[in-house]
Amino acid sequence: EVGKMKGECFRPLGRYDFLDLGEVEENTQRAQLCRTIKRFIIDPALAKLVTHHLGPDLEESKAVIFECNPGPGVLTRTLLNSGAQRVVTLEGEKSFLPDLQALECLLDGQLEVVHCDFFKLDPMGRGSMRPPAMYTDKLFTDLGISEANWTDEVPVKVVGILPQRIERSQLWKLLYVLFDRLSIYRYGRVELNMFISEKEYLKLMAKPGDMLNYRAFGALWQMACHIELLHKEPWASFVTSSKYKLAIPKSRLPNDNLCLVRMTPRKDLFSASLTPSNAATLVMMVKQCLAKRKARLVDRLNMWSPDSGPKLLKEMGMQEDVLTGHVYPEEYKQLFELVDKSQEFTQSWLYEEVLENTQKEGWI
Amino acid sequence: MSLLRLCTFPKCLSGRILLEISVRRVPYVDHCLTIRNNIERHISEPPWTSQRRHFSALIPKKEDGKKRVWEQSQLLDVLKARIQQLQSDVIVDVQHEKVQFVKASKSGIGASSGNSPKNVFGERTEVPKAGQTISKGGGQTGKGEGKDASASKSRWMEKLSQEKKTKTKKLKQKLGLEDKPVKSSKGKLMLPGTSHKTISTKAGIKTASTVKKSKTLKNQEHTMAASKHEHTMAAAPVAAANVPIRKAKGKGKASKEPAPELSEARNRAEEMERKAEAKAQELAEVEELERKLNQWAVSARPELVQDNSEARVYGDVQRSVRCYLEACVFCGDIDRAHRFLLGHHRMVSRRNLLNIGLYNIMMRVWAKKGSLNQIGRMFILIEEAGLKPNLGSYCAALECMGRNPDCSPHVINRVLRQMEEDGLPVDELFSHCVFRQDERDMVLRAIHTVQPDFQSSINTILQTCSSPLVKDFYTERADAKYPKMAFSLEELQERFSRQLSIEQASTITIHSVEAMKPVTSHMAKMRDLLAVQRLVWHKALVGALREGKIILASSTQKAVRLSLYPYLCLLDEKDYVDIMIQSLSNLPPSGESLHILAKELGNRVHNMFCIRMKGHNQMVDKLSHIYNEYAELLAKDSKEFDVLPRERWWKLEAEHSSGPSLLGDETHWPHMVVVELGTYLVDLMVKHMKVNSDILNSAYDRKLIPVLYHMYTFRSNKQVGFIKPHPILTQMQQDAMDTTLTFDSYVMPMLCPPVPWTSAKFGAYLLTPTKMMRAVEGANQHEILLEKCQDADLHAVLDSLNQLGNAAWRINQPLLDIIISIFNDKGSEKLDVPPPNSEAPKIPRYNQQDSATFTSAEKAHLKREVVNAKKKCSEMHSLRMDALYKLSIANHMRDEVFWFPHNMDFRGRTYPCPPYFNHLGSDVTRAVLVFAEGKPLGPGGLEWLKIHLVNLTGLKKRSSLAGRLEYANSIMDDILDSADNPLIGKKWWQNADEPWQTLACCMEIANAVRSPDPTHFISHFPVHQDGSCNGLQHYAALGRDVIGATSVNLIPCEVPQDVYSGVAQQVEEFRVRDAEKGLKIAQVLEGFISRKVVKQTVMTVVYGVTRYGGRLQIEKRLKEIDDFPKEYVWDASHYLVHQVFSSLKEMFTGTREIQDWLTESARLISKSGSTVEWVTPLGLPIIQPYHRSRTQMLKATIQYLSLQITHDSKERPDTVKQKNAFPPNFIHSLDSTHMMLTALYCYSAGLTFVSVHDCFWTHAITVDTMNKVCREQFVALHSQPILQELSNFLLKKYCSGLQSEVKSKKFLEYRRMLLLLAKVPQTGNFDLQRVKESTYFFS
Repeated sequence: EVGKMKGECFRPLGRYDFLDLGEVEENTQRAQLCRTIKRFIIDPALAKLVTHHLGPDLEESKAVIFECNPGPGVLTRTLLNSGAQRVVTLEGEKSFLPDLQALECLLDGQLEVVHCDFFKLDPMGRGSMRPPAMYTDKLFTDLGISEANWTDEVPVKVVGILPQRIERSQLWKLLYVLFDRLSIYRYGRVELNMFISEKEYLKLMAKPGDMLNYRAFGALWQMACHIELLHKEPWASFVTSSKYKLAIPKSRLPNDNLCLVRMTPRKDLFSASLTPSNAATLVMMVKQCLAKRKARLVDRLNMWSPDSGPKLLKEMGMQEDVLTGHVYPEEYKQLFELVDKSQEFTQSWLYEEVLENTQKEGWI
Repeated sequence: MSLLRLCTFPKCLSGRILLEISVRRVPYVDHCLTIRNNIERHISEPPWTSQRRHFSALIPKKEDGKKRVWEQSQLLDVLKARIQQLQSDVIVDVQHEKVQFVKASKSGIGASSGNSPKNVFGERTEVPKAGQTISKGGGQTGKGEGKDASASKSRWMEKLSQEKKTKTKKLKQKLGLEDKPVKSSKGKLMLPGTSHKTISTKAGIKTASTVKKSKTLKNQEHTMAASKHEHTMAAAPVAAANVPIRKAKGKGKASKEPAPELSEARNRAEEMERKAEAKAQELAEVEELERKLNQWAVSARPELVQDNSEARVYGDVQRSVRCYLEACVFCGDIDRAHRFLLGHHRMVSRRNLLNIGLYNIMMRVWAKKGSLNQIGRMFILIEEAGLKPNLGSYCAALECMGRNPDCSPHVINRVLRQMEEDGLPVDELFSHCVFRQDERDMVLRAIHTVQPDFQSSINTILQTCSSPLVKDFYTERADAKYPKMAFSLEELQERFSRQLSIEQASTITIHSVEAMKPVTSHMAKMRDLLAVQRLVWHKALVGALREGKIILASSTQKAVRLSLYPYLCLLDEKDYVDIMIQSLSNLPPSGESLHILAKELGNRVHNMFCIRMKGHNQMVDKLSHIYNEYAELLAKDSKEFDVLPRERWWKLEAEHSSGPSLLGDETHWPHMVVVELGTYLVDLMVKHMKVNSDILNSAYDRKLIPVLYHMYTFRSNKQVGFIKPHPILTQMQQDAMDTTLTFDSYVMPMLCPPVPWTSAKFGAYLLTPTKMMRAVEGANQHEILLEKCQDADLHAVLDSLNQLGNAAWRINQPLLDIIISIFNDKGSEKLDVPPPNSEAPKIPRYNQQDSATFTSAEKAHLKREVVNAKKKCSEMHSLRMDALYKLSIANHMRDEVFWFPHNMDFRGRTYPCPPYFNHLGSDVTRAVLVFAEGKPLGPGGLEWLKIHLVNLTGLKKRSSLAGRLEYANSIMDDILDSADNPLIGKKWWQNADEPWQTLACCMEIANAVRSPDPTHFISHFPVHQDGSCNGLQHYAALGRDVIGATSVNLIPCEVPQDVYSGVAQQVEEFRVRDAEKGLKIAQVLEGFISRKVVKQTVMTVVYGVTRYGGRLQIEKRLKEIDDFPKEYVWDASHYLVHQVFSSLKEMFTGTREIQDWLTESARLISKSGSTVEWVTPLGLPIIQPYHRSRTQMLKATIQYLSLQITHDSKERPDTVKQKNAFPPNFIHSLDSTHMMLTALYCYSAGLTFVSVHDCFWTHAITVDTMNKVCREQFVALHSQPILQELSNFLLKKYCSGLQSEVKSKKFLEYRRMLLLLAKVPQTGNFDLQRVKESTYFFS
């Protein structure tokens, strides 16, 4: 089938030609040959469903779709079949490239294939940059996407499955670059449509008062993004590269599904008082506060600037004895804006703190 | 039996005690029993009651009546709570229960009052009946009423047994250490005054039913004698009985095992035959091995297997209870200790965790008070707990009797008779017990009342170490010339008293070398400010601590909960506060993690406590006495001795047996306690140390702000609690440049020769507790192993430690002055003198206003800069502080002669105890140290100095000795110039590998050549001899590899062989071959393969570096080569590490095999659930302390700390670590053995000898002798069948207990292990004796 397509490379397919998704069995086998541990969307129905959620008006939407690690390309084809204007597949695995590139050839620019792993963009290390690792600016420049204003429409929609092993650190990394407006977020409010594990989703969405799960991680994501659960799909629906068995992580929280979650950065995240340059301090503040959810907020504030706690709380209209775990993400944002304005905090060590990231997958 | 019977002797004092006990006991018994009966009937029969018999015990309290009421009401409360808890389940039943409960307690009291005090033994016969009733439980009715067949019963039962299970589990894990008491499920387990017994009897093999039947009978005939501890006694016979059966089964199974299926039919028969043959052979082998093992098993001492597991099961809990009791006793809070022990005793689940030693602690207290009453009661408690009194118990009893002048001889006689019955000879009291204060005299007094001419005959015959390696050393002493020290007896004694006073003070304050800097007015101002602040903080902290203690003291109602309170009463409040304030000056500006800070504080308190305790035990006088006599052995002006320091000390101690023991028996606090205490102190500091915010800048508003902050840092998604100093504090400290440093006394080298190690528990410092074997926090498996060792087997190890510790040192003053001058100037990274903080990079701060103008790439860059700068700053700070400590200590010692006491790690590698300044340190510290004793250079000394100099430069590594000497002579001008003008001359020395030692050596040579006769020049300079790749040397010798042995200089050659070049050559050969084949990367690498590229990997491969690590090492080297194309680094390093490994395999055939055998053995042992252990040829037992970690939560107010406990020997071994670490650890245990042997034989040759692992030091004149000894001992060591002995040991250890598991899978694994352990790798045909002529073996 592939060979045939290659042969026909001279005649570009029209946008209404229907692409064959291939046999499920064959696709499954190909996915299982993948050398790294990954999950793939092979089931056409699932691909359809994802496509549907990316819509509804794929044909009209100007946003570029980045598809992470498509593998055999079932979703890619489904996207194209539904009339997506511009799909960029970022494939980290060399073995899947020829096939995708063949498809790229067939089409008239609707599909671009890049040897790149979305989850290895902008690494911390300073080794030689070889694909699939890549700097975002190279990727975006090559694709001809330029920096946009924060308030512009969503320029890029990313769809993919977060690799299980680095799920959490990836989400943290994305969070940091989001607040700093670095990496992909330099190019505007990039929308993520990611499959993440159910437990991670539940943590992401934990509400104040849930003292066990409401942490800086969730609070900051909720502060930064509009988060929507699009779909829940059992783990079993995905094909895993077979050499290894991917154990589903145990958790106190329910964890039966992968959740397709849409995270759209809020238009009003940045303002006069919260800018990418001081956002790191906000992140630090929230992390410090929520390290211990049953601590009183006033104590934290007093620690950063003695006696300022009660004053700030009063301004916020909060109770004196409010616990840090009861404060809403939005309130933290307001609180930070007050803190940032306040003269008393200029001497505070809070501003001296620099977030150190010793993870391998860092951010720049 | 025992003491109970003893006490009933009608006319004696203790008889009366029992009488009065009984009077009180009886009423209480019945009362309590009835309550229990009623409840338990309704609970139906939980499984655990069926084996146990309940009867109650006395409550040994003066105000018995009051207490009883209190206890009753408490019991009522608890029961009520329990009932309420279960109410939701069955309301009707509970009401029923309540009614009965009240009734029962009334009737109980009524009944009890009827009992007459005379009925001493009546109680005994009655009690078992009650016990029976309970155990039969179920349908039977006990004392009357009670129909209980409600349906809910079983649910209750389930629930209760479930709760019980989880609770005991929890308890075992973290007894009492939790802040939170275990929930309300307590009720059912509270058995105030009840004792529980396990009826096991000798009839361990009998079936359950017979046990049950026999129970009634036994009960009636005073079951006490028969009762034993559940875990030890009952289990043993059963296990023993099982063995033969299991074995038979196992074998049967193995032989019957079906042959695996074969795919092809025609091959089948043939294959089968072959397999069968192989199998038969294997089986024969296995059988042969098992036969051997059985023989060993017969000859081995049986008790070894048992106590091993027993000791460890509850080790942690017992340790925390013990420490708690000791702390309570030390601070005089006997009431608390007593309540605590009783509290545990009364709860079955907790009582099971206690051991005899814990009861003995309280016994000792009562003995001090001379209260025979209490001693009697303690014996009853011990009895109830199903424990057997041991030497310590009897010791306390006798001591108490000794304190009572009018104690009847009958009582004492009874005790002595009882001891005899228990198989405890009286003599052992004096040889095994640790005495404090006047305890020994009191015990003796008691014995003398009945046996006036008794004399403790301490065994004065010294056994000798059994290892054949040191037979000569111990037996042939005629030729030995044990070195003397260059001091008179009086001098040594004077030094001792100075050292003693330092250790008694427990901390020492010295001048920092920075104090030499001129004082500016700003500095002076800051110093004053800081001093004032310290006073303020001191006051605030004392107040806060006092308050905190009051709260803690009053808030602990639960007697069984461990509270911090006693640990806060061990020292004066002032001492705690001093410790806290001192810790402030060590705090780095970037802060410190709470865990580390807490650990430091906790350890310092413990240390101080141990020293106080020794003072308290009044052993200092005795120590001085013995030391002063011991010094004769070392002093130059006293007679010659033909004994070793250890032997001398031992003899002196035996001669001066009266008074307290010198051996401290303090227990090391569990890690948890240390951290909890430390966290408490940190919490105080954070809350109560404040400073005015305008102290440095009056423009700011005045606010009282805390000096320390508790915050979190985030490291790869983990949050770590951190304590940070406020920038104001940091600035004050930096500007003030404190002139003094305060250290714990053990940080300083000793001013007198250390106390010789006479056992694994005693030696080194005078008062500071020191472990002979260092271990991870809280790990005690080493200690247990060492304790089990035969004393004599450790002698060689102890003696070598003593010899290393006895080397006296002095400061090389001219060199120290040069280093300090650079240090106080700007430092020098090149010369490894860390620059001050002022030289650190400024941390870039990006201004918010500017930030708009930056592009995001610039911002990212800036951010990275900030992170890097911060990292660099904190690194520089810690390096600087480290150097400051070292130099300040050296400077403080500049006019002194001093000693480094030694101990070792778990593999036997030796280390000096003082942590900062010692001869193991960097080039800088080594350079400022010289031997205190000087020896003339003699005929060859100057040449050795010159060769040593060349060695230090790192040049001429492949030249012969003559070549190196010639080179040295050719650069004499440079040498003299360096010596004369180190900082303004040609600075030749600065380019050496070890610049400071090179400079020192230059100066020594200059002095020597300028002296009138260099052969008479007195040199203090240590000359080093290094093993050439020592790990590989041992491997090559083990495997008798000819090529390997040649390349690491085990075979005499004209010039030194260099294994690194050898490997590089081999790699190059492989490369050429691959390049010809057209391999791209091999072609790229042309001309880049050098010694340097492979060196580190070859060096570390012996110590277990993996391909992964090796690749990183090579990558680093390749990156250093400018010409090498960067894009190939990864591929090239990958290729090279592969080639290096193959080359090594080619050159050291045997090595690889041995390494693989060791690794695989360790893997199988670890997989079978055991920890890898072995014994060095010198008899030192070694155990690898790698276990899976578990986390323990410490719920402190400031923060919850989760502690990773990796030492826990109950946990399964960490297989990966056990296997990867075994080969290197085994080799280290061999190199340490070689070093110890060399040390011992050098000692009898009269040499000064010290070592840095595989680098041996001595005076220039004695280098030749040392080299000879070193080679001879290497040959002697490897002439032993080391691997065979290891194999035997492992087989004995891991296969004799395990054999014949019934399950086939286990059995197969076992058999695999058996075969592997027995299969010692083959060796090559290298002639070991040739080492003796090899000049470059160590050079």
